[in-house]
Amino acid sequence: MTISTGVTRENSPFGRHKMEENDQPSAQDPAADAENLERKHAAMLERLSNRHQSRLSGKTDPNSATSFESTQLFLSQFSQSKLSIGSQLSRIRKQPDPTHKADLEAISLDISALEKLVAENSYFLPPYEVRTCLNTVVHLRQSLDEVTSLVIPKKKFSFKNKPTKKNSTAVAEKDAVLREPEKELNVGSEKLGFRDLSTAPGFRDRKNDVLVKEFSINELEGGQNGEFTLSNLRDCEVRLKGRLRALFMDKLINCKVYVGAVTGSVLIEGAEGCVFVLASHQIRIHNAKNCDFYLRVRSRPIIEDSNGVRFAPYCLSYQGIEKDLAEANLGEETGNWANVDDFRWLRAVQSPNWSVLPECERMGMVDVSNVGISD
Amino acid sequence: MGLLSIIRKIKRKEKEMRILMVGLDNSGKTTIVMKINGEDTSIISPTLGFNIKTISYQKYTLNIWDVGGQKTIRSYWRNYFEQTDGLVWVVDSSDLRRLNDCKYELDNLLKEERLSGASLLIFANKQDIQGSLSPGEIAKVLNLEAMDKSRHWKIVGCSAYTGEGLLEGFDWLVQDIASRIYMLD
Ligand SMILES: Nc1nc2c(ncn2[C@@H]2O[C@H](COP(=O)(O)OP(=O)(O)OP(=O)(O)O)[C@@H](O)[C@H]2O)c(=O)[nH]1
Ligand SMILES: [Mg+2]
Repeated sequence: MTISTGVTRENSPFGRHKMEENDQPSAQDPAADAENLERKHAAMLERLSNRHQSRLSGKTDPNSATSFESTQLFLSQFSQSKLSIGSQLSRIRKQPDPTHKADLEAISLDISALEKLVAENSYFLPPYEVRTCLNTVVHLRQSLDEVTSLVIPKKKFSFKNKPTKKNSTAVAEKDAVLREPEKELNVGSEKLGFRDLSTAPGFRDRKNDVLVKEFSINELEGGQNGEFTLSNLRDCEVRLKGRLRALFMDKLINCKVYVGAVTGSVLIEGAEGCVFVLASHQIRIHNAKNCDFYLRVRSRPIIEDSNGVRFAPYCLSYQGIEKDLAEANLGEETGNWANVDDFRWLRAVQSPNWSVLPECERMGMVDVSNVGISD
Repeated sequence: MGLLSIIRKIKRKEKEMRILMVGLDNSGKTTIVMKINGEDTSIISPTLGFNIKTISYQKYTLNIWDVGGQKTIRSYWRNYFEQTDGLVWVVDSSDLRRLNDCKYELDNLLKEERLSGASLLIFANKQDIQGSLSPGEIAKVLNLEAMDKSRHWKIVGCSAYTGEGLLEGFDWLVQDIASRIYMLD
């Protein structure tokens, strides 16, 4: 997809402009310096990408090359627009008179277009680039702000102006992006006062148990089957057959969890030493350690704050599973089980937190047909 | 005249509104946006970063920013606060366990000065799921009645699956913003 930013390229040498100050405090020629910086940064990206390639040794990731190229393309597009906006601003700054009002409006739209460009490309950009680029957008807005106040003098009897210089705090806040997540609230989430959580359908607080539940189609179609919860289980084997809409799991230790078709999403928060066999439209995995996931999933599975998690394709069977999967739109293998996104890791390099489960270590088809129906 | 009034002017010309959608991950933000835009909602990945959708709604152009709600990227939300006219907070009404997280994040957001002028729409989503809390119950958990009196807000039950409630919510939001920005001159 090509995105036009509505910014025309400027051939004239770029003058000094405001927004570079932050990156290059002592720069004589900020434009050249910025270019330099970008070149260095590109080289770094390339190094990372190469290291990634060699580490994979033989097993090549078809995405990494293309995503590197698109990052390059994006960066050059972005810096072109950035420089053009910067030079327009510095030109107006030299001759601030009211005839420039329309230009300023146009620049404001250009900055929005630039912001949008970042947004639309953010899915493949490493978090570092997203952050830097959004910072640049903030700086450009501030420059525009300043130039605007030169062009359009303030009214004599205006009320006090808000200070526009929250620059440094804004940047500091953004750098905190990678800080540790807030401490968990000490929530008394077991009770909401008026509705007891434990009455929602699910298996809770069990040890050493085999837990089986079959969801009938009639229930689903009558709107009866809602969400199901697995909470605080240790050394249990759980078998959920049929179709359900949403599945929540938390605090599972050394469990085996076999699930038919989830038409909505699966959310896992806190699991250790478990094996999951799941088919779902979406899967979000938080705080999992040393778990194996056998998945069929329509979208990209995601992990956050997890490590030692391994992935393999779905491998469950019971009488009627084909129908359950097909009707839940999960009839076909999508290959997404291996397209894991780690929200705690740069996209350009393979995350150390997850891996593909080696074929020789995968378990075979798990058949859960002949276990009695109970609840 | 400051920059703000210039921006207002540009906006007024184009009848444009900027709407920020936030909420915990898995609450259904992306599904809601796709649904009101008439797009296929059957394959949606958790949002890594954000999406922008420009949608014509009545005589307005809505610029909807749908930002990912995973914990790691919540701290990015503040990058999108500037110039927000309307805030949509989406709640998964079936996720009882995380309602406390949900309240905590919403409270934080509402402290933000840059959002103080924004109209607030709360979607109690996933009403189609049996066992989900009603909008009234959600309002209680989130303690909405205690909100700053100057805030314009409304809570609406909805389902991004069936579409129920979505128009009611957006109608209110757009009307509320319009009455502040475009009609009061
Ligand atoms: N039953 C039901 N499921 C819904 C509804 N809305 C969304 N979902 C499901 O909830 C899951 C999450 O939806 P998304 O739209 O990806 O959620 P999000 O808020 O964008 O999540 P992030 O991008 O991670 O912040 C998906 O599996 C949707 O199909 C609804 O109204 N009812
Ligand atoms: Mg999303």
